[in-house]
Amino acid sequence: MTSPEEIRHSIERAFPGARVHVEDTTGAGDHFEIEVTTPAFSGKTPVEQHQLVYQALDTLMPRIHALSIHTAAS
Amino acid sequence: MAEVMDEIAREIRDNKVLVYMKGTPSFPMCGFSAATVQVLRDIGVPFKAVDVLAEPEKRDAIKVFSKWPTIPQVYVGGKFIGGCDIVREMHARGELAPLLRAAAGD
Repeated sequence: MTSPEEIRHSIERAFPGARVHVEDTTGAGDHFEIEVTTPAFSGKTPVEQHQLVYQALDTLMPRIHALSIHTAAS
Repeated sequence: MAEVMDEIAREIRDNKVLVYMKGTPSFPMCGFSAATVQVLRDIGVPFKAVDVLAEPEKRDAIKVFSKWPTIPQVYVGGKFIGGCDIVREMHARGELAPLLRAAAGD
């Protein structure tokens, strides 16, 4: 288990100034939907963008059961 | 690990549309795998499915192979195109069908 705040902090650390929205979709602390918009994604493919998000969440991933990611470059 | 990595490379080379999933297309064991299969079926191209729950070593290996920590994973024409979210977004934008048909047709 983790929390939307923990996830948001990890992403904001990796992508300073990013617009981040995290939703705990079941309220149980292990299913999340996240949206990240940052200039760091410009010129990157969707796969590369998601890989960067996964890297940012590396230490949290074992505590997350299901994760839906939406990314955009700003 | 090396052997299963070779097997993955072969599967990706030999199948034009390939999905690594939890369960089978008829009995998916995860909502994301089910949704991904549904998109592939909507488009109507033949695809090969590999059930990683039946092959625990491959379940770990594919994550390293693709540098992608989650299942499902979709390969088209030998290239990793993403997981459930990307597949659904590409489908919503109408980008996935042409890609799959081009890969399946050649």
